[in-house]
Amino acid sequence: MEKKKTYIEDINRGIYDIKDEVNYSYKTDKGLTTEIIIEISKEKNEPQWMTDFRLKSLEIYNSKPMPEWGADITDLNVDEIIAYIRPNTEMKNKWEDVPEDIKNTFERLGLPQAERESLAGVGAQYDSEVVYHNIRQELVDQGVIYTDMETALRDYEDIVKEYFMKLVPPTDHKFAALHGAVWSGGSFVYVPKGVNVDIPLQSYFRMNAPGAGQFEHTLIILEENSMLHFIEGCSAPKYKVNNLHAGCVELFVKENSRLRYSTIENWSRNMYNLNTKRAVVDKNGVIEWVSGSFGSKVSMLYPMSILRGQGARSEFTGITFASSGQYLDTGTKVIHAAPYTRSTVNSKSISKDGGHAFYRGLLKVAKGAHHCKSTISCESLMLDNKSKSDTLPIIELDNDNIDIGHEAKIGRISDESIFYLMSRGISEEEAKAMIVRGFVEPITKELPLEYAVELNNLINIELEGSIG
Amino acid sequence: MKWNRIGLESLTFPEPKKYTKEYLSNLEITNINLDEINELSTTKLEDFMPKEAKGLGKDFTSYVEEYYNSGISLHVPRNMKVEKPIILDFLMDDENPMVIDRNILVLEPNSEITVVINYKTKTQGHCFHNGLTKVYAKENSLVNIIKIQNLNDKSHNFDSNLAIIEGEGNINWVSIELGGNITGSNFTTILNGDASQGNLSSIYLGDGDRKLDLGYSMIHKGRKSNSNIETKGVLMDDSKKVFRGNLIFKKGARTSKGVEGEYVILLDPAVKSDSIPGLFCEEDDVSGEHAASAGQIDKDKLFYLMSRGLSEREAKKLIIQAAFRPVVDKIPSEELRNSINTEIERRIINE
Repeated sequence: MEKKKTYIEDINRGIYDIKDEVNYSYKTDKGLTTEIIIEISKEKNEPQWMTDFRLKSLEIYNSKPMPEWGADITDLNVDEIIAYIRPNTEMKNKWEDVPEDIKNTFERLGLPQAERESLAGVGAQYDSEVVYHNIRQELVDQGVIYTDMETALRDYEDIVKEYFMKLVPPTDHKFAALHGAVWSGGSFVYVPKGVNVDIPLQSYFRMNAPGAGQFEHTLIILEENSMLHFIEGCSAPKYKVNNLHAGCVELFVKENSRLRYSTIENWSRNMYNLNTKRAVVDKNGVIEWVSGSFGSKVSMLYPMSILRGQGARSEFTGITFASSGQYLDTGTKVIHAAPYTRSTVNSKSISKDGGHAFYRGLLKVAKGAHHCKSTISCESLMLDNKSKSDTLPIIELDNDNIDIGHEAKIGRISDESIFYLMSRGISEEEAKAMIVRGFVEPITKELPLEYAVELNNLINIELEGSIG
Repeated sequence: MKWNRIGLESLTFPEPKKYTKEYLSNLEITNINLDEINELSTTKLEDFMPKEAKGLGKDFTSYVEEYYNSGISLHVPRNMKVEKPIILDFLMDDENPMVIDRNILVLEPNSEITVVINYKTKTQGHCFHNGLTKVYAKENSLVNIIKIQNLNDKSHNFDSNLAIIEGEGNINWVSIELGGNITGSNFTTILNGDASQGNLSSIYLGDGDRKLDLGYSMIHKGRKSNSNIETKGVLMDDSKKVFRGNLIFKKGARTSKGVEGEYVILLDPAVKSDSIPGLFCEEDDVSGEHAASAGQIDKDKLFYLMSRGLSEREAKKLIIQAAFRPVVDKIPSEELRNSINTEIERRIINE
């Protein structure tokens, strides 16, 4: 008899897939030329140093080869991607003023509701430009800056100039160079010394135009003794042509500060998500990454923590759900560059219906970074044998006075666990559901309540037969 | 050729030389036909070896196929259980500084054999070893292969080992890496048949400026196949090691199980230890696990032993020997076991 299997339903993309008519006030031609870059820069009224920076990045982009490892990106033709689309509106800070169609999109995604209920500030980006930004008054009074990158470049030019693409230089890799050349939009957060932002800030990135690229830049600076939780959400409707997301996130966590950076990424299945995220942490600082990768056709995303101050700490919690037609190559990189630094990596992946989940990670302990501690744990769950699941954590140690542990597991849910729960009086169905929920729980518990509920809804479990 | 991970800028193979010394001392088994297999299995094995069995790479294996100067071909007939281990002793010196050995083992169903290959040097000059061992173990056969390498500190050592195991067949690899300046060693096992089994135990000792690149792959194709990789090592002085352990579950390898463990003790601040454990899975109903740990010797253990009157060095030696012991004990020759134990002891005490 054919063994029955528990079916885990695909993510319901209903609300994400609604397309709006593409209204724009300005858009560049396809492809990349010096003229297009100068045009974008001029359109944005940028200072000369930024225009030069963009042109330099374009030069680097053209000189670098396409990466040959990881995902197959031969289908991605950057020359077919429109680098810059300005929606037909100016940036607003009152929700009522945002144009109807754009407002509807974000209403459907629940953004204004979330702002009223649980967020300290919200930014919304539609195609290449930020259309809405708002922050609670009490935070402004304490000197917290939360705005879009364009405004930041205009009003806080000195700070931006000091930090912009210093952590992820355009020379890093081809897509960082591309980002440097055509970046647009994104958020800028500055938290002054000693300020605790106790409710999260959120930016939502929505791509509407087909065949476009989104290249938002997020720059967050936490001065000493401060705290922040930042949430990033991403989605786009599906078109037949490929879209590209090559954003860049730079996080500066200074002494004794704590930053949590959460991402729920739900791009449509025609998206190439080639994003670069990096944080540098000073003495006794903490960076926490919470990362959920559900969407996109191809993802290559490895948030990196550089622990450069003594006693700095990083925590990474990630879940990847790869379904039909998806290749999600995700992971994290941790560099222990100072003594007494600690890191934890906890990664989970589920693959089903021919999806391919790949955990690729790097842990590096530099010479002289003694008394470092690190634990890495990767778990993969495969729901059928059409899918693939790979794990490749690279560990490089340059030092002896350390304590490193690593473990990885792959497979199905064991009969023993189910048997154990059933012996405690729980029904078989409930036991299985508990185990799958338990598998994703480390992620859900790190999210604000509304998001946890959404995540639970994303993974609907329909129970029938055995798991695996 | 460039070898990034162990920081080898360039490598060119030396001009091949003859190896004229006797290396097969105890072959008294009459039923094994050496000549027959030479003709029979070389071409045939090529066909059997699938693409994923690359060993150290084409440059290394084709060099052996072309220039081999030693090695054995064994064809173990059906139902034959060879009880005494076959021991090959390669002792390189100034006249014979190169061993390029090609070994072929074909085990017919239900047969058993144990082969020990020992590589040593008796000179301070540069020696070179590049070997290729191919094993084809048919249904329900059992093969034990033990490789011991203790070349001098100037020598280069490369070794590719490939095996295909058919239904209910069994292979046990033991690899002991003690010497050489640069070592590249690869063991790839294809568990082709249902309920086939592959085990690999290895130990290594990195001291001086030794560089080791150890690659172990278990490729599960048959159902209910089982694999286990366990590697233990010690790094001291300026030594460097790269560990690549792969558990690969191909589609169809249902209810297979693979376990991989890598444990390294780091004794000096200048050591470098890279680990790249990989799990690649195309089948859902399997279980794969890998674990790795790296660090110094457990302080509590050290303290306990020292409180019993041992010096720090002696205590460390004891702990390391205890870790290595289960692997050394798999060598079916007391003489070899003792010489390895003495060697390890000498190297740790005189560090």
